Amino acid sequence: MSYVALIFAPLVFSGFLYLFTKKSPLAKYIVLGYFVFLFVETLFLYLQLPQNGYLMLGKFLEVKEFGFILTLEIDRLSSVMLLLTSLLLILVTLSSWSMQKESAYFSLLLFFSGAIFGVFMSTNLMWFFIFWELTLIPMYFLVGIWGGDGRVYAALKFFLYTHVASMFILLAFFLIFKQTATFDMTQIQESMLVTPTLIWWLLFVGFAVKMPLFPFHTWLPDAHVEASAPISVLLAGVLLKMGAYAMIRFVILMLPQEAHKYAFVLLGAGILSLLYAGVMALYETHLKKMVAYSSISHMGLVAIGMATLSYEGLSAALFEMIGHAFIIAPLFLIAGFFHYKTQSWQMQDLGGIMQKAPYISALFVLAGLGALGLPATMGFVGEITIFLSALDTYGAWVAFIAFGAMIGSGYIIWTLRRVIYGPMSQKVQESNFSISWVEFFALAVFGIAIVAFGVYPQALFDAINEVFSAYNLGGAM
Amino acid sequence: MSPFVFLFGMALLSFGVRNVKILQPLSIVVVIAAFGVSLMHTATPLVGFETPSSFILFELVLFVVTIATLLHLEQTIAITQTLFLVATALLVLESNTLVSFVIAFESLSIVSFILVSFIRTKKEAQGAIKMFISGSVATAIIVLGVALYLLEGHSLLEAVSLEVKGFGSVGIWLILFGVFYKLTIVPMHTWAADSYAEISPANSAILSGIAKTVVFVATFKTFAPFLEKNTTFSEPILLVLALVTITLGNFLALFSKEITKILSYSSIAHAGYMLLAFVSVKSAYAQNALLYMAIAYIFMQTALFLLVDKLSDSKGELYLEDLKALGKKDKLSALFFSVQLFSLAGIPLLAGFLAKAVMVYALVDVNLVFVALFVLLNSALSVGYYASIVRYFYFEDATKENKINPISLKVYFAQAIFLAGTLFFGVFAGVVFEF
Repeated sequence: MSYVALIFAPLVFSGFLYLFTKKSPLAKYIVLGYFVFLFVETLFLYLQLPQNGYLMLGKFLEVKEFGFILTLEIDRLSSVMLLLTSLLLILVTLSSWSMQKESAYFSLLLFFSGAIFGVFMSTNLMWFFIFWELTLIPMYFLVGIWGGDGRVYAALKFFLYTHVASMFILLAFFLIFKQTATFDMTQIQESMLVTPTLIWWLLFVGFAVKMPLFPFHTWLPDAHVEASAPISVLLAGVLLKMGAYAMIRFVILMLPQEAHKYAFVLLGAGILSLLYAGVMALYETHLKKMVAYSSISHMGLVAIGMATLSYEGLSAALFEMIGHAFIIAPLFLIAGFFHYKTQSWQMQDLGGIMQKAPYISALFVLAGLGALGLPATMGFVGEITIFLSALDTYGAWVAFIAFGAMIGSGYIIWTLRRVIYGPMSQKVQESNFSISWVEFFALAVFGIAIVAFGVYPQALFDAINEVFSAYNLGGAM
Repeated sequence: MSPFVFLFGMALLSFGVRNVKILQPLSIVVVIAAFGVSLMHTATPLVGFETPSSFILFELVLFVVTIATLLHLEQTIAITQTLFLVATALLVLESNTLVSFVIAFESLSIVSFILVSFIRTKKEAQGAIKMFISGSVATAIIVLGVALYLLEGHSLLEAVSLEVKGFGSVGIWLILFGVFYKLTIVPMHTWAADSYAEISPANSAILSGIAKTVVFVATFKTFAPFLEKNTTFSEPILLVLALVTITLGNFLALFSKEITKILSYSSIAHAGYMLLAFVSVKSAYAQNALLYMAIAYIFMQTALFLLVDKLSDSKGELYLEDLKALGKKDKLSALFFSVQLFSLAGIPLLAGFLAKAVMVYALVDVNLVFVALFVLLNSALSVGYYASIVRYFYFEDATKENKINPISLKVYFAQAIFLAGTLFFGVFAGVVFEF
């Protein structure tokens, strides 16, 4: 089998799935089966990786004059992302098991999987960009069709905002091609560039929007709040990770010298995101918006980890990225579940859910504690490792991280107090919190992962540490 | 035999065949034959007309688009006019001297006047007259330009001279500006915004899709060497024209409510994108960029106008409101419509993206980096209106009894051809670069 099929087969078959599985529930089984296959396949690829450098998966569609070749290569960084993505895709499929208009929904998920695999597998900048932009199309529809009341506005804003930002990226790639005569990211060295500073800034702005970092984050709260819960998981777990992945790959690893020069920008954006989004979350009485801001706040932490530009810091940032995906996902799913049952997002309408739905509430508490960084959860490991590596590099500036962590525990504890515990509200009293076992299974997997990698992070760090060992980061700061 | 002879012969013959059930397949077979001749390079060119091999691909695309267009038409008169128009367009495309270019161009104008003269409503009459008047003005300007060019002793029987003396270059610029009327470059665009929206959408498809694109390619072919020699003068002028055209087209489209109006403005904006190839003419990528844009554009624009023609009611009107929940009522039409719109918006894996990408790269190639950024941002903002059309298909429920005409199987097939073109050129860029 040619690996290019992992990208194009889903893109093509999603159309057929949409047109031909109108009335039957076949679509979700096909898609689930495919995602399981995808996970196994990526695991298999991961085991084949060489110690350093890239595993070549093939070259396609060569256009010599324009350096435009669909080169599929993966290294450790991209295969970690592929594993995370394919696992999340399975869990997202399970959590949307009872979704309306299923043939359209699941064919869009299938389409999305093709595009996102393209992002992580292609090392040609043009094709990377093509798949990067292509992920917008399924997300636009997924937010716009299955979202809440403001879905149309949110979907358009998401589409426009991130599309405009991508133009900076495209221009940067064009400048790179003009100056190096290649789009192959494995060939490009910083020393070959004539205007590395301009390119760095263009890339930084483009990727900062996707991550998102303050002040480029405003599209995310809207999209997160209006999207249905599984789509929020996809946004937080895959799309934001795509931004962070690109930030590491291009802004830091490809342009290490510029990154050293402007690390303070990344650090500043990270700290501002952490604090600003934290304070916003503290203010919020809308449950899902609170989760959305906490998501942005954690991405700020990831950016701080990157800004250290050390092996430890980058590893910690990657760990936090994975941890963030596992922690935010159940928060979104359970928040969505509460809304589905009570028809309310407002925290004052909720309260005392623990008494009616103990298992789900326990998972929500667990994920919440993960988000605030309680020891023995993934959140703690991510936070502490970022903290320590930032302490090495920046010294006193880490006080801000500590302050952010404090705000974080503030909003989580306060939310738990209002939503899960406390006196039972009228709405909760009237609602019935039954959940299908499929959806509960997906939630339980997240819960297990949060604790398992929290207690034994070494399992994940073994894999992550190897990611960056192959790169020269231009000396420690 | 030249493909032109096939098309022109068939156009003449079509006067004798009054049954559309015979004429349509017959003319499609003839266009396929022309396609074959063009593909084999066996054509013996007419004097003054010859297609360089790099333009053959565009000619082939033109035939494919013609076939798909013919499949949409239901009246013999429409088929006859289309055949005449494509035959004349072929002449414009193949012209390799200034005189053959001017003559073919004027013939194309006349044929397009005849095309829109088939008037059914007052609105169509308005559109046709606007087009006729501005077309006549353009002709007058072109004739003046030719006169000035001759005055300095240049020969019309050759390609445009690279060493133009005195008033000769004023002449060339006048010819260019006359042609820009047809190419809907701001400020010569005003007629198009109205005409394309007022004449029947099928005619708009042929004029703004086929005729305009062909004239663009032919103009580039004829004048690129001249412009390349004179970039110090031509670059700033054309740059301003292109940027104003793109920006104005996009902004006016943003505020329109009628589909044909939006498509007209989008057509104007795309004229701006194509004009960028004239700006970056020094770059080795300029010619491929223009060809790519032309190929992408001819598929998208023709497909969309034809689809609108089929969906709209007897009065030929189609508002955004009418398209609510199209995704539910007519899955395939909605799919064709959305894909072509996304292609216009420049979303990847569709021809529109790669076309814009190569076009913008040509700008970067001649060191117009910030112009490139401006164009990219402009194009990104245009997603605002394209995506919000798509929004009506899928995100909204039908509020009233929308009057959407049912679409025949034949039209689906024709639209599938357009779709295949948009997808093919969105993935296989090598075909354009290496043909």
